[in-house]
Amino acid sequence: MDSFFAGLIALADPSLVLLLVAATLGGVVIGALPGLNATTGAALLLPFTITMDPVAAIAILTAIYCSATFAGAITAILINTPGTSASATTCLDGFPLAQKGEAGRALGLAVVSSTIGGVFSVIVLMLAAPLLARAAYSFAPPEYFALTLFGLSMLATIGGGSPIKNILAGCLGILLATIGIDLMTGVNRFTFDMSVLSDGIGFVPVMIGVFGISELLVQISNNQAGLERVKLKAVKLPTKADYLKVWRTILRSTGIGTFIGILPAEGATVASMIGYNEAKRWSKNPEEFGKGAIEGIAGSEAANNSATGGAMVPTLALGIPGSPTAAVILAGLMVHGLRPGPTMFTEQSDFAFSIFWSMMFVNLLFLGVGLWGARIFARVTLVPVQILWPCVFIFSVVGAYALDQSMMDVWIALGAGVLGYFMRRYGFSVVPLAIGLILGEILEQRLGQSMVMLKEQWWLLPTRPLTLLFLVLTFMALFGKPIWNGLIRLHSKV
Amino acid sequence: MDNEINQYSKGSAIESWLIPLIIIIFCGFTYWLTTGFDRMPPILKRGIQPSDFPQLLVVLMVGLTALFVWKDPIKVSEKIPTPTFIALGMMLVFVLLVQLDFFFGLSIFCLGLTLLWKDRRWFTFIFVGLLVPLGVFFLFDQVFEVRFPRGFLTNIWYG
Repeated sequence: MDSFFAGLIALADPSLVLLLVAATLGGVVIGALPGLNATTGAALLLPFTITMDPVAAIAILTAIYCSATFAGAITAILINTPGTSASATTCLDGFPLAQKGEAGRALGLAVVSSTIGGVFSVIVLMLAAPLLARAAYSFAPPEYFALTLFGLSMLATIGGGSPIKNILAGCLGILLATIGIDLMTGVNRFTFDMSVLSDGIGFVPVMIGVFGISELLVQISNNQAGLERVKLKAVKLPTKADYLKVWRTILRSTGIGTFIGILPAEGATVASMIGYNEAKRWSKNPEEFGKGAIEGIAGSEAANNSATGGAMVPTLALGIPGSPTAAVILAGLMVHGLRPGPTMFTEQSDFAFSIFWSMMFVNLLFLGVGLWGARIFARVTLVPVQILWPCVFIFSVVGAYALDQSMMDVWIALGAGVLGYFMRRYGFSVVPLAIGLILGEILEQRLGQSMVMLKEQWWLLPTRPLTLLFLVLTFMALFGKPIWNGLIRLHSKV
Repeated sequence: MDNEINQYSKGSAIESWLIPLIIIIFCGFTYWLTTGFDRMPPILKRGIQPSDFPQLLVVLMVGLTALFVWKDPIKVSEKIPTPTFIALGMMLVFVLLVQLDFFFGLSIFCLGLTLLWKDRRWFTFIFVGLLVPLGVFFLFDQVFEVRFPRGFLTNIWYG
């Protein structure tokens, strides 16, 4: 309970509040810019936070996460271009409603739904993360190994790539994590006698490359000249009748989003799709969906923002990222020497609650930002791409260099950018690569520790109940769908 | 038009087997590298040999590659767009120019990007090629105390 209030007191620091306000505004700008999203924004800002106090650094990254996720709705509603992939479903009804001259109503609903979703998920985070961490406190290396494996298996469904290609990308990320001196034995691996590779490949340059530079290579072939913009006269709160119509949808989507967020590697995009579909399924007027249904906007926005808090639960409690942006935040924690997991809630609980309260503050802050500043922030879409993307490149390259003042990091970022572009071109998601790189070292360490503990008898792994549970979940995550489809086919033949 | 379609399908067909081939060659080379890792005596190996885990991954990657060739082959509907090709080439030029000066390379690359977007206004050139790199240089130099590699431009400041 002391930590609960200590975290709140941390927000009494005016410099932290100022940073959070700046990060929220920055996050809204990032989210509103088509092409940039919370993950890219957090990856680009990561090098800037290295010299900061850990609380301020991680609070900034989470502020970017929450506000950019919300801000994708601004462009989704006003120009029919989702600022982030999590807002793609908001376009379906937000833009038609805006075309009817009710852009303000659509934005108002998006803001209120996002705030309710975000605040609820932070409350769940405050309650669930310490409980989950306490449960994980009794985990031994085999349980951790199986849990990390389960987290990685969830990569199969992440992003737009196919499950097989996603797991392959995750394996490549894990393989990259083996570069450098093996911490267990002190043996050099894949270093090619280059001392600069002894410490391995840093997360930050790879993140900057796969999220920032690869996006530049994608965007350069896109022509954004044909954007249709809707005039926004004023942003007004939804009416009482609107609230009565959507409150059930907001609550349902908030629950869905929080749950989806908690699942390792599943993020706001999946949450918003399910939230939208469920809103349509439960609606009394499903035929209105796609033509400006306010339930569609509420369903999508409440779900995608509630996924942010949910995604932080496994990230902080278990060290397994709950979404791509949470993976960047996890990288930020590790760069600051913090090891997420059960010990975070015993040895660094003040820190953890400072982050929770910061997220709560940001969720409430963008209620104001969204309602009164949407018209201004919608203008960021006027920034020409030929100015935006060169600036992104400069910040990417300088950010990669600044971390260790090493040109090797610049080459890694460029290489990762080119690799990321080709991976995306051939249907591989880059998110599993990044998550694999972060979790790779932990996975190998825990496998090694498990082998020591089990006297190298790996077949004893499933004899431990929790390990068996995680291994079964991993199997289900990987093969559940094909098995289920096979059973259905078999049943239909019979 | 037909020729174009034929070119696309030809390109796609080549890529559908070329990419798995590249992955398998990469895996083979990586496996070969792992065979050169030092091996630890049993008492020091701490559970697994340094080469075991990477080898396990490489074998898994080969298996997954075979699986996606069978179940989910690569399908590409269009060629790599020309601007992307040029941007990739410009990255190589950037790597060379950085040897002369870090910020010179950045400026030239960014000017190239604006040209790729068909913007030929002086304002954009000055903003992207001069003001932003200069602003970023002083931000990192003065606020974050980052020392950039020396070059003919950075030497003007560093002396």
